[in-house]
Amino acid sequence: MPRKPRLAGGVKGHNIKGDYLCSPSVRHYVPGKPRPVAGELQFHHDSIRRNLKEDGMARHACIIGGGQNKWGIREAHLVDLFQEAAKACLDDIPGLKPKDIDGLIVATSYAGRCSFQVNTAPVIAERLGLTPTSICVRVDVLCAGGSTGIILAKALVESGNADIVMVAGGEKLYTPQKWEVFYSELASVDHDWDGVHGMGLPPPFFALTATEHFMHYGTKKEQLAAVSVANYNYATTNPLAQMQKGLTLEEAMNAPVVVPPLTLYDCCPITDGAAACIVTTEEIAKQYTDRPLVYLRGTAQVSLNSVSANFPGAHLADWKHTRIAAEKAYKRAKVSASDIKVAQTHDCFSISEVIEVEELGFCKKGEGGDFCGSKQIEIGGKVPVNTDGGLLAVGHPFGATGIRQGIEIMKQLQGRARHQVKNADMALTHNLSGANAEHTIIVYGREPVK
Amino acid sequence: MPILGVPIIENLYPTTMDMWPVEAKEFNRVWPFYENLKQGRFTTTKCKDCNHVAYPPRVICPKCYSENLEYIDLPKKAKVIVCSAEEKGVPLGFQAPLIHAVIDLGVDPVRRFLSRIINCPAGTLKPGDEVQFVVFEIPAIPVEKGKAGTITAERVFFAFEPVKK
Repeated sequence: MPRKPRLAGGVKGHNIKGDYLCSPSVRHYVPGKPRPVAGELQFHHDSIRRNLKEDGMARHACIIGGGQNKWGIREAHLVDLFQEAAKACLDDIPGLKPKDIDGLIVATSYAGRCSFQVNTAPVIAERLGLTPTSICVRVDVLCAGGSTGIILAKALVESGNADIVMVAGGEKLYTPQKWEVFYSELASVDHDWDGVHGMGLPPPFFALTATEHFMHYGTKKEQLAAVSVANYNYATTNPLAQMQKGLTLEEAMNAPVVVPPLTLYDCCPITDGAAACIVTTEEIAKQYTDRPLVYLRGTAQVSLNSVSANFPGAHLADWKHTRIAAEKAYKRAKVSASDIKVAQTHDCFSISEVIEVEELGFCKKGEGGDFCGSKQIEIGGKVPVNTDGGLLAVGHPFGATGIRQGIEIMKQLQGRARHQVKNADMALTHNLSGANAEHTIIVYGREPVK
Repeated sequence: MPILGVPIIENLYPTTMDMWPVEAKEFNRVWPFYENLKQGRFTTTKCKDCNHVAYPPRVICPKCYSENLEYIDLPKKAKVIVCSAEEKGVPLGFQAPLIHAVIDLGVDPVRRFLSRIINCPAGTLKPGDEVQFVVFEIPAIPVEKGKAGTITAERVFFAFEPVKK
């Protein structure tokens, strides 16, 4: 039996009964006495759970801080990248120590392929000095791994199965010879049925998508370029972005061809990098931060196909799965598209952002080109999108991307973003993954769902 | 020849570096699809209980979970709906321009089927063009068969090509 923990007061503003509930940084350290061992730590968490359950209070999950490392072509090992991101994360939350974290969710897809490492979560936990007692797991949803980790962390803390969860995502994609980077991408899609057609790296698939959007809705190359220009220019003030030089419309229009109609700046780069954030309950969050709380209000993840031949829309520019995901996430968050003040959408290609603003309901179907081309995605526009630079300019280390998006949205809702949207109180992140095979949405807000 | 940096991998087959499917019967229950390819047939599985046709072929019906499936032939001619030509970043094993197209084979579930298009000069393919099924050989692989030793498993795969006018 562990020693009964010391009484250390309740939670300000909350009538929570019980013998122990306060900041872990306070409760774990009693001057003159040794720090508690892991078993005792678990006992503390269990008592929090029991008390909340007895009081019948719903637990609301919050994202309380996070950080990323420098993204780009990095002279570093995968586990180095995770360490840098975890430090950036804890630097953002003064008072939170590694020992306070009882859960770790690692989002990485290419660890097995590019670093010869599976069962990644315990490896990362060990490098980060974490000793998880609630959950220690890796998720692989390629480009949406980070968002998936956040969704799972929300479920775990709201159900009382974890209290303070670090969601850490990262990829080391550049190998000593570059051919392997491109070759390994054949695993990003259904290997035996799409990869064999050379569909690994996604530009051909999104070029076909753009062509169909042009055919059905009259979208123009200039409107795609407007997305690249907006996102590259958001990133000029982001020292951690892979692309910080900005972009003019002329440069975007005259860039080298990748797959027509996509040119260089229509495509996100290949990126090494990592990001980490902390998800916990609002009660615990208040012990660590005076910043406005940012709640995870509603989430959805929809998969209707994997092989490109089974794409669910009427054509490649008709993203039925995005619409369903948005509908579900809005319903769970008790909001509508018109409530969203700022968004991070999955701009793996410029055309993706054009279609996403349509399917997320920020404009009518088919009008995404006009929406993006008329500065509605910029500060002062209807819904500023990818305000830190997005995948196009910050880069796209798959498992880290959803976490970077969540961090930017958290900062927007806390009023501390580099390109701050005025009065931002409701926001979302959106990821797609694979050959447009899955869509993942998280709605964030300044208030919990009631 | 040994692999650079990993000289122990000499004359050994690394599955994890193979861009093609491991088609051999010993490792794949949809091996009839690949055997049919060798006969020039383009096939997939149909459920004998609920009649659902699925692509790619599989070992259970995705609608009713029956295992009572049969292989049926798919059309081998199609019309191009939309096409693309990749010029940069083409993976090892493919040559630029790498051409893809969404093609209509005229029956479910392959009315919008995404395929590589081969034997096609750059810039010549356009929507509405007719393409046809084509099978080609891909490298054989060694398969260990216990006391019988190692056999060589021959392999083929498919793509579509323009119909000569």
